[in-house]
Amino acid sequence: MDKKELIKLINENLAEEFEVDIETITPEAHLMETLDLDSLDLVDMVVLIEQNFHFTPKATDFREIATFQDFYEFIESKMNGRQ
Amino acid sequence: MGDNNDKKWSGKTRGGSFGYGFFIFLIDRLGVRFAYVFLAFVVVYFIPFAPKATAASWWYARNILKKGAFQSFLFLFANYYRFGQTLIDKVAVSAGKKDRYQFVFDESYSRFLEILNQERGAIMVSAHVGNWEIGAPFFDQYGKKMHIAMLDAEYRKIKEMLEQHSESRNYNVLPLDETDGLSNILRAKAILDRHEYICFQGDRFLENTQTAEVGFLGKTARFPIGPFLLATRLQVPVIFYFSMREWGMKYKFHFRIAESVPGGSGSKPEFRLLEQYVQALETIVQRYPHQWFNYYRFWGK
Repeated sequence: MDKKELIKLINENLAEEFEVDIETITPEAHLMETLDLDSLDLVDMVVLIEQNFHFTPKATDFREIATFQDFYEFIESKMNGRQ
Repeated sequence: MGDNNDKKWSGKTRGGSFGYGFFIFLIDRLGVRFAYVFLAFVVVYFIPFAPKATAASWWYARNILKKGAFQSFLFLFANYYRFGQTLIDKVAVSAGKKDRYQFVFDESYSRFLEILNQERGAIMVSAHVGNWEIGAPFFDQYGKKMHIAMLDAEYRKIKEMLEQHSESRNYNVLPLDETDGLSNILRAKAILDRHEYICFQGDRFLENTQTAEVGFLGKTARFPIGPFLLATRLQVPVIFYFSMREWGMKYKFHFRIAESVPGGSGSKPEFRLLEQYVQALETIVQRYPHQWFNYYRFWGK
């Protein structure tokens, strides 16, 4: 899966899970604000990552993620690390 | 009645180290029944000298239980006395004196054990009624897989003292970090993924956490959403558990297995679980009104 496909997959999953318009998901947009998440809702994010990308993130991982771009890079780095 | 601080939980359970230590001494040296007698004098002290707790208990008697002024005054004694008894009992049982008590289980106990025997995690939700902690020795091997969610602020003060006088603890603690909700969630998820159990207090929350306002005993109160959201998202069963003191040296353990609620977009299944919890808690408080031990203004904004 190339980066473009990965971003498309991430955006589709996030839009469906958190019921937001996929058009609002842009690389520079703020992840938590756009998806209207608080720390409790992040359990949904953890489950989504486990089910779709097959790893369990740590709490510290999320502290370094502000925008969707950060999130794409985080998922990509974890997936590349497995290969 | 009372200032604004009456209206939220301070995060700490009342009771000084000296007070706890003295009661542990009494139980060790003179026995549980002597501690009960001494407790009556302590209660007389507490009514005027714990004004915020007394105001909360008075408000509960007047506005929730709808008692008259004289009846409410008597209720203050009864409520504090029952609270003190549960603390004495907790210390006595954890110090190995459980043979002095009688413990009975309600008709849902076997169903509760069936759920614990499934190869999956489970969430138990209790409340600050009765004496939830006293049941721990009876969970036997299940206790090793049980994690009680605790706020450090609530327990740090008395934990060390109780442990000095007790046998080894029959359960694990899931420490809740008040400043790091995500770490709490991931730790809870890891426990459930290992097919172990978490016990939450469903009547307590901290500011800045998700809550819902629900009708409870005729007035609106706020309850945390977190335990129910975890249960629905991670698809684990939920059991409501209350351990209530009966007359004499007897406790009854009450279990109610929550009906599972389907997910789906927009249905907010966590709220439907919360409604079931509130209903179960209402039933218990109506049956044991003197064992409501939330000493702050629980209802209203």
